[in-house]
Amino acid sequence: MNEILLSSEVIVYLLSEALLYLLLFIAAIATLGILKGWNFDRFTKRQFDLENRSYLVMSIIFFVLGLKMLLLPYFAYTIDALSLLVPGAMCAAGVIDANDYGSPLLLLKIIILFLSGLWLGINRLDLEEKHYPYMKLKSWFYLLLFILLSAEIVLDILYFTHIETTNPVSCCSVIFGEIGGNSLPLGLDIPKLLILFYLLYALLVLIVFTGHYLVRIAASLFFAMIAYYSVVYFFGTYIYELPTHRCPFCMMQAEYRYIGYLLWGLLFTGTFLAIESAVMEGIFGRDALKLKKISIGFLTLFVLLCSSYVGLYYLKNGVLL
Amino acid sequence: MLSRSPFLHFLTLLLFKQKSKHLGIMSISVVMIALVSAVLFISSSLQQTLQDTLDEQADFTVTRIEAGRPVSTPLAWADRIIEIEGVSQVAPRIHGRYFYAPREESFLVVGIDFFDEQGSKALESLVKGIDLKQFFAEESMIVGEGVKAFLQKHYYKDTFSFKTPRGQFKKVKIYEVLPGSLNLLANDMIIMPIGLAREIFGLKEDEVTDITFNVPNDAEWDNVIGKLHLVDYEIRVVEKREVEKAYENLYNYKGGIFLILYIIALLTLMLILYQRYAMVYSHERKEIGILRAVGWSIRDILKLKFYETMILVMSSFVIGTVAAYGYVFVLGAPILIEIFLGGANLENQVQMIPEVSFGTLGSLFLLYAVPFFAAVLIPSWRVAVIPPKEAMR
Repeated sequence: MNEILLSSEVIVYLLSEALLYLLLFIAAIATLGILKGWNFDRFTKRQFDLENRSYLVMSIIFFVLGLKMLLLPYFAYTIDALSLLVPGAMCAAGVIDANDYGSPLLLLKIIILFLSGLWLGINRLDLEEKHYPYMKLKSWFYLLLFILLSAEIVLDILYFTHIETTNPVSCCSVIFGEIGGNSLPLGLDIPKLLILFYLLYALLVLIVFTGHYLVRIAASLFFAMIAYYSVVYFFGTYIYELPTHRCPFCMMQAEYRYIGYLLWGLLFTGTFLAIESAVMEGIFGRDALKLKKISIGFLTLFVLLCSSYVGLYYLKNGVLL
Repeated sequence: MLSRSPFLHFLTLLLFKQKSKHLGIMSISVVMIALVSAVLFISSSLQQTLQDTLDEQADFTVTRIEAGRPVSTPLAWADRIIEIEGVSQVAPRIHGRYFYAPREESFLVVGIDFFDEQGSKALESLVKGIDLKQFFAEESMIVGEGVKAFLQKHYYKDTFSFKTPRGQFKKVKIYEVLPGSLNLLANDMIIMPIGLAREIFGLKEDEVTDITFNVPNDAEWDNVIGKLHLVDYEIRVVEKREVEKAYENLYNYKGGIFLILYIIALLTLMLILYQRYAMVYSHERKEIGILRAVGWSIRDILKLKFYETMILVMSSFVIGTVAAYGYVFVLGAPILIEIFLGGANLENQVQMIPEVSFGTLGSLFLLYAVPFFAAVLIPSWRVAVIPPKEAMR
């Protein structure tokens, strides 16, 4: 028997995912019914049933999304816990690369969380109106989401059943380090990366209150990407206090006071809210001042947190790495 | 604070008024969560103890095998291993199970050189604490708590007589008892001078059972393994990492099998919850109808039900885990611990070191809250969407 599947974290994770998928499946079937028969102007019993059913879909997605937000860090924790069992792995980075399903799974999870957040935003707009104007839109959107969610559960199962405990995997310093031949994209080096990081942050702060929605979305996504590389290749080394240690996962371990969860959480939520506010204003013509304020708040915290590691290191040791 | 929000005020009033309705579900949930928490707590505590113990062990152990059959290791290897760069604290050992035929129990006898450096930090500190002059005045040994209790029971008060392969008796004095914190591994252990152990197991002068040593720089481990294989082709190297993994797997296995079986219980709980709430809520139709009639929307009802469930889940989770904490770390987990220790040999008394991580608590919460909410979701939706007119009829 595969040792991986006996680890309690994996059992809990897969059970939760399976139960949530069951609920999502019910919601998907209900959504199909809604799409088929929805007509707000009709006063039939069927229409009332469908309106009631839409509340079921809404509650399920609301509940599932809430748990998925918990399950993403839990997923990171689970694969981190598995690093003891997989030879060569010292943190989650090695385990995620243990087979070909890991990295797509992680990416898919992040995309799903993003899209379901948007779904909730549209849902909120829909409920504010009397006629459910976005019912068709959000139903189709949910069906798209459901396809992704189905892919996710398949990948989940494939990933956890295909982790070999006999083949050694690479540790994070090989995957992200210089030995692995991995370097920064777009021909950047560390100083340019940092300049870009702070410039993009400044750009985001400046344009978030303007009306250039597409630019805002593009800038947020670009900032998220650059921020990821900056943390892995520069700020991370100050968190670990070791110039050669480059890893997005090790910082989630207890030695670094689980700071990774906070750091990535801030970046994710900040970026998401920035994009959501742009979508709300650009596509739906709503006022999203609160979202914008929160998103800038989160991103500022993120930048400050990253920079403070460098600052504190310099204050303590008088040199930079 | 509570009274300031009318919604929360209403919710608490509702919960207190209808306590009896939730009491049954609460008690089942508490038992369920306490059981699974206890198992996970024991498993993680034992793993932690083991990790602490293993941290003190030597990094490598080498033995000789002839075509897969373990045979005694030549002492001369120790001198060749010490020449490898980066290796320190090479310590030859003799160990084996001494079978006590009358009771069909066995002790783990470990013979070490008390005058040399020890590969294991635990042994090193043990040896340092001994008055060697007194220890060697007559043939003595240090025993684990389990051994001590066993010998006491069989009237070996201060000494024990080993039978050697040559047919002689060897009387050895019990010098000291190992600390109880080492019980997980050292319960049935006897530590004695290497010469004495050699006599008891009938080994030749130039033979030992294995050689342990440390390699402080773990980046060198793989290099050292390569060099060890050049010492002799019959060498077998056991790394600490492998031992760690094997133990991790063992406890994962026990906890995992339990969890998989527990899923069945959990699904049953879900079914009970589903039916119970379907019933409870159908009695509440009228109430809900009134709420809807005074202007509550479907969303408000759903919110009410969600918070109600949330309070139930949180309180039973807290009560359950605290109860499990008390059971495991205060009472020492009677009965359940046997699953993990498997007392085939000497009876073991393990002290549980309180060790509860965020991860364990997170696992428990997910394991319990997801099925609970999932089971209640549909019944609460069903009652929330009943038209008020129909509900009050």
